[in-house]
Amino acid sequence: MIANPGETPAGTSDPGVVADLTAAPTAAAAEVTAELTARSLRQYLRAWGQQIRSGNSGVLPVILAIVLVAIVFEIITPEHAFLRPSNLVYIFGLSTVYMVLAMAETLVLLLGEIDLSLGAVAMIGGVIAFKLVQQPGPGWPWWAAILAALVICGVIGALQGTLVARLKIPSFVVTLGGFLLFSGILIVVLGGANGDVVLNSSSSNQGVIYNMVQGVITPVVGWVALAVVVVAAGSALWRRAATRRRHGLVAPPAGLTAIRIALVAVVGVAVLALCTINRGTSIVSVQGVPWVIPIVLALLGAWTLVLQRTRFGRYVYAVGGNPEAARRAGVSLAGIRTWCFALCSATAALGGILLGSFFFGQYSTNTADPGQLVLYSVAAAVIGGVSLFGGRGKAVHGILGGLLIGGIAYGVSLLNLGQLVTPLQYILPGAVLIGAVLVDVLSRRGSVTRV
Amino acid sequence: MSDIPAVDLTAAPEVAAADLPPELVAQSLGQYLRAWWLRVRSGDSGVLPVVLGIVVVAVSFQIANSAFLSPLNLVNLFGQSSIYMLLAIAVIFVLLLGEIDFSVGLVMGLSGVIVGELVQPTGAGFPWWLAVIVALLACAAWGAFMGWLVAIVGIPSFIATLGGLLILEGVAIIFLGGSLVSIGNTQFTNERVLYDIFWSQFSPVAGWIILAVLVAAFGIGLSLQDARKRRQGLETSPRSLTAMKIVLVTVAGLAVVVICNVNRAHTGTIEGVPYIIPIVLIVLGASTVLLQRTRFGRYVYAIGGNREAARRAGVRVASIKIWAFILAALISGIAGVLFASWQVSLTTNIIKASNAYVLLAIAAAVIGGTSLFGGRGKTIHGVLGGLVIGGIYNGLYLLGVQSQWINIAVAGVLLVAATVDVLSRRGAPSRA
Repeated sequence: MIANPGETPAGTSDPGVVADLTAAPTAAAAEVTAELTARSLRQYLRAWGQQIRSGNSGVLPVILAIVLVAIVFEIITPEHAFLRPSNLVYIFGLSTVYMVLAMAETLVLLLGEIDLSLGAVAMIGGVIAFKLVQQPGPGWPWWAAILAALVICGVIGALQGTLVARLKIPSFVVTLGGFLLFSGILIVVLGGANGDVVLNSSSSNQGVIYNMVQGVITPVVGWVALAVVVVAAGSALWRRAATRRRHGLVAPPAGLTAIRIALVAVVGVAVLALCTINRGTSIVSVQGVPWVIPIVLALLGAWTLVLQRTRFGRYVYAVGGNPEAARRAGVSLAGIRTWCFALCSATAALGGILLGSFFFGQYSTNTADPGQLVLYSVAAAVIGGVSLFGGRGKAVHGILGGLLIGGIAYGVSLLNLGQLVTPLQYILPGAVLIGAVLVDVLSRRGSVTRV
Repeated sequence: MSDIPAVDLTAAPEVAAADLPPELVAQSLGQYLRAWWLRVRSGDSGVLPVVLGIVVVAVSFQIANSAFLSPLNLVNLFGQSSIYMLLAIAVIFVLLLGEIDFSVGLVMGLSGVIVGELVQPTGAGFPWWLAVIVALLACAAWGAFMGWLVAIVGIPSFIATLGGLLILEGVAIIFLGGSLVSIGNTQFTNERVLYDIFWSQFSPVAGWIILAVLVAAFGIGLSLQDARKRRQGLETSPRSLTAMKIVLVTVAGLAVVVICNVNRAHTGTIEGVPYIIPIVLIVLGASTVLLQRTRFGRYVYAIGGNREAARRAGVRVASIKIWAFILAALISGIAGVLFASWQVSLTTNIIKASNAYVLLAIAAAVIGGTSLFGGRGKTIHGVLGGLVIGGIYNGLYLLGVQSQWINIAVAGVLLVAATVDVLSRRGAPSRA
């Protein structure tokens, strides 16, 4: 590709223009992310406020919603039990499944497609991993079993992606058929409608998978790990900003970097402190950070890196934003689409493994309803801020949306609603899904810059 | 359409001729058949694939199990398929617009629950007809809500109706109140009438009389229409074609009545045409007339074919869309009355069943030949596709196949149908 001197190549910003942009009219400034235009912390905050006012509010609404849900449930639950450490850790365990599935769905939503078979594929992945570590049985090591589950589900996703990308069948039809197909296959791999598979938590090999959600890191190790992570992330962030500044590139103001590092440290300390409180009984103490928290954080880091810092990620956003423009720029639409479906299904398989681990290492047809899992994960992604129309969204949106959905689902079950609990568990996500899409639709209508 | 010079078109190149329905261009039966064959070859095969599919299903299951084509099983099969057929007709109204409605399955389930609850003598104690009307009105109101979300607010239909489906699941649980609702108590007239809708039939003599009346009405109506057109100098299908159509309808009707009039009970006598057959035919007829002969129907096809063009031609897209969603919900409500009558007692199991039914109904519509992309399809496709789905379900069930494998088979059929839909769109140059 030969760059036309008159054009600025996509993805790079001309440093010469940057200083002018803060002075430009509101609408133009709102198009550029605040990091690129701000020279000082105050400028950054002002640019950020402008973005929010112009309808591009990022993660702010979902964070406000999480706070609101937490406050409301804390007030209305009997004995104000919602915010107890034990409940919070439980909610996090429950939410991780939705978080991982929502991150998986985000990969496909970014293209403007949808994967309705995700729930069934995730459960197939979980069952495969659980079956492969069984002893007597295949007796595979845990890492090989997980890898096999991810690969098999990735192939499933690639097949569906091929139908979408090459044959151009609408994705909701392909994955609807996939939902029927894999719900059937799920029962087959479980060994019939009454089949189940249970992990033996005392076996060291099966225990690894069992402990993914159920196991905890001892508090001391947790504190040490947190210190290491905060120091490493902080120094990396700081050094990168310094390097950029030295090379004359656009860099976030030093104050902003410091605030970010402080935020990470504060959130980390809060989570750790919360998890260190004994949430068991006085006889059997349960304390420490569940393993699933670093697992989900690692996944979040990986997907954020892939989507924000690699060529693949840029192509995903390009295809989602305007497929025709991406195609003319030389992006292989079919290749990107197929890969996204494959990666979505592989990520979903991890969610399925976590799901089984959350239910104390048991898998049966009653573990979860695959159809409901899909709806919850789509709702989580959209509530988090991923657009259904493609091109807008981040992995972190899945995390926040998943937390919100998990919080609502668990909060409702805490209430003394008697017979209303079950219907509300259906009605609330439905209403929240429609509400979130409504916000998505209206914000697209409001912002001039996104078509 | 009528001012197109018909004589020239048969001589025109193949592609142009293939664009027009053969009724308009053909002057004789031979020309008609030739024009039809041209269309089939150019990718616009109409109901031919699904009819072939029905034949394949029938022949292969009959070979596997000789009970498949027995009168008892055929009537069972039609009963089972009637729900798919009505739901598929419902979903076709929305598919023609290029939209989709996942909530029709639960609308069906809820309609059944409402009817069942309202006729309970210990509860509301409504007469059966009032209960049906109330249920259908509730369904229509829901359809209007879905249509509003899609047409006015602008939420993509698959998300609006997925969210709607979740909400209806909760509503269904609230209505059922943790227990079941049954219409099986035949001591009460209202419950017996509802029960009989699915499970009862005309006497054999009544079946013959109705068939005779229907065939006579169809024949006379068709001949009168032809005669009027010919008198006014409009294009008319050849006489031999009209005669053939009448003969075909007569033969099909005779076959149905003969099969239904065979005693299909193991002990005692059960014979005659089930009420559900005329019910399905009435819904089919009414929706066909609505889509093929009214301005509303033309607008539906116009929007499905090219929304922007329709809007610029002055079609009020939003209101047509809302009406299509209302009609879809209404027909699903009718399916729900049949469903309640069929199941006799409804529990929260209907939620799982309803969701499976939606997928099967969409599959039935697509298998029948309705396009997922809007603008192409007829309600007859729902009936034929429903018969294929019902046949596969029934046949596999007779062979003792477990339900998960049946789901896998239906998923395969849906994917094949969608692929054929996509490929045929690509093949036909005249449709963008």
